Amino acid sequence: MGIDDAFDAFQKTVNEDIDKTRLARERRDLFKTALLSEPDVVETFGSGSLSRSTQLKPIHDVDVVIVYDPDEHPEWGNDGPSAQDALEHARTQVNRLLSQTNGTHANEVRHTLVRNHAVKCFLDDPEDPEAFTVDVMAALRQEDGSLLIPEKLNTRWVPANPEYLIGQVADHQRDWPHFRPLVRVLKQWRLTAPVQGRIKSLVMEVLALNCMPRFGNRSQALKTFFTAAAVRVHEGVWDPAGLCGQIQPDLDHAGLSDAFTDAADLAERACAAAAEGDTDNALRLWQKIFGDDFPAPAAPAKPASLITGTPALITARPIKDAPQG
Amino acid sequence: MLILIPQSAAAIMRSSGPWGRLSLRINHPERFAVVRGLSERGDGIFPVEPPPEHRLLGSYPPVSTGWWCRVHADLHLMWLALSARRGMLMKLDAFKAAVPNGYKAPGDPGYWAITHAPGLKDAYPEHNLPDLVAWHVTREGAQPISVSVEPEATGICQLKDHWPVHELQNTRIMLIGAGSIGSATAHALAGYGIGHLTLVDPDRLDWHNLVRHTSARRHIGRSKVTALAEDLAALRPDTTVTPWALDVIEHADQIRALLADTHLVVCTADGVAPRRVTGHLARRAGLTAVLACVLQDGALGEILRLRPWPQHGCLTCRRQSLAQAGGLDPEPALDAGYGTGTRHRPMTAVGSDLHLVAQLAAKTAVATILERAGHPDQRLPGEHALLGLRRQPDWAPPFDLGHTAELRWLPATPPISGCPTCEAP
Repeated sequence: MGIDDAFDAFQKTVNEDIDKTRLARERRDLFKTALLSEPDVVETFGSGSLSRSTQLKPIHDVDVVIVYDPDEHPEWGNDGPSAQDALEHARTQVNRLLSQTNGTHANEVRHTLVRNHAVKCFLDDPEDPEAFTVDVMAALRQEDGSLLIPEKLNTRWVPANPEYLIGQVADHQRDWPHFRPLVRVLKQWRLTAPVQGRIKSLVMEVLALNCMPRFGNRSQALKTFFTAAAVRVHEGVWDPAGLCGQIQPDLDHAGLSDAFTDAADLAERACAAAAEGDTDNALRLWQKIFGDDFPAPAAPAKPASLITGTPALITARPIKDAPQG
Repeated sequence: MLILIPQSAAAIMRSSGPWGRLSLRINHPERFAVVRGLSERGDGIFPVEPPPEHRLLGSYPPVSTGWWCRVHADLHLMWLALSARRGMLMKLDAFKAAVPNGYKAPGDPGYWAITHAPGLKDAYPEHNLPDLVAWHVTREGAQPISVSVEPEATGICQLKDHWPVHELQNTRIMLIGAGSIGSATAHALAGYGIGHLTLVDPDRLDWHNLVRHTSARRHIGRSKVTALAEDLAALRPDTTVTPWALDVIEHADQIRALLADTHLVVCTADGVAPRRVTGHLARRAGLTAVLACVLQDGALGEILRLRPWPQHGCLTCRRQSLAQAGGLDPEPALDAGYGTGTRHRPMTAVGSDLHLVAQLAAKTAVATILERAGHPDQRLPGEHALLGLRRQPDWAPPFDLGHTAELRWLPATPPISGCPTCEAP
């Protein structure tokens, strides 16, 4: 198996099943359509990783933004109780339109909860840890095109621009077709990275935006990414739109940098092995980075040695005596 | 003999035809010439020279001394064969037969000829023959002459397939200190293809600087940054240089504003205070600073990379760590408060040792930029380099280098609690 074939095969293990992705989109679109029929709603759009096609499996939730008409809610947008009011208003609309028992548009929502920034709508049994939810976020459009989002706990409205990130990801993808698939790969990689605490998936996505090249093959691009990310994670990972500040202030920056450095070392060796025509060794090195789901090289037809189970012999490459002055 | 063919002249011979007159500027003692003008057929010669500042052999008079003409590809194959053997001539009849238009019979002194053979790649794809070659044509025959055709690109873009030229051309570095180490650092940074250099130094070039500085005697009395900018413009035109005759301490506000448009800072200034101020300004701007100097009167070269990262201490914290470990003894006359002490000790090191430190400083700066851009082959082994220049015994660790030219890299040390530079304002 060649390197490209191996990446293709590995990608299939990372990607969510197409039918499940389609179902998630249908459920999201149901909310968009239903809420857009309300007289005080001016637009609805999907947000989150599904809207950027960078979602990791399994898809448990999707995000929908409901942009309201400020003339219909003149008190919204100011700090105070209006933040919770807006979320309660959205919740009321969802229940009226989509409640399982008496929804006027469809009967899908079994339960709703008002969270800090969104109304979490359960389409499955809320007790089920795998329950699928739609997060409905109320918003007001500002003059500069960004949004104001209610924040219940702090009783205030905060600026955000999720469409900026959607646009940035789409732009990168237009330039280089491997971008979105590799973001999913990196989000998967983070789950086993040896760091203290968790790594938010958005951290990986923004680092990919900042560090992934827009050309070349996947091997070279990952080598570049890991090298650059090992440095840039020290600088903090910030909202690309410049509105929401640092994405995960409690991130283990040093630990993640070390993990990136280790991956960069292996990726560099994998690229060098591939350039020397040693595909098997390259595959083994990529497998060290991404785990056993990355395809291993085919086993040799006959054991190369009577002693089985020994690691592959990696010989150092001699330097050519071709002096240049 | 070597004949240089400027690109403009080559373009005319490649696109016009079939023959014309040739004017050269010739340096007979050094046996080379440059094409100065051409004609089409028997018309008047028109100049093909670049502007005077880039003109070759500008002090030599132009001489109408030959011809150029379009020829069969076979003639250039013969040129290659004859060139391989010293003193070989081609018979005049054979030369004449290969020139379908514009052949001129030579008089007593002979003449120089440049021949253009189109379609060589198709005719002889295996030989990589030049399409423009030169001859000295006399009554005895035609002798092959070496030519050098100016290529389309002569700058850093020649290396674009082997070196990340694009990234570095889009990089802006501020260099604070344009003295002995600084001037050589500027040349090295430009050599790496850095697209823009901002030079900061308030001093003028003086007589005593000549022994170590890269600028020549003709610049004495001028601002060091202006002289350096002029030298670099002539030598490395791919690097744009902005000179500022400013003092990093006195004009810190102006420097701070300039840092907004900077990717990395290199400091080669003398003394403790300017280095501290540079490190502080860079950290506040979120930029990496690379500090280069010599210690012990030039016996030891030192490069410090100060990254604006939470785990990496500033210059003061790093120095304090070394002092606490017994490795470094602060110089009381230099390490004084503002307005007291002396600014720096007079330089006693030899110029080339300082230039060696400068090269390492430039490499550190460029490697820092490239690692951040994702080039694993540019990762450095540490944050603090020590280079033996005139090693002496019994220096305290980590300065206890065993040999001259030994290079030791050390990690960063963390910020010290309460540091006004490392902690957020």
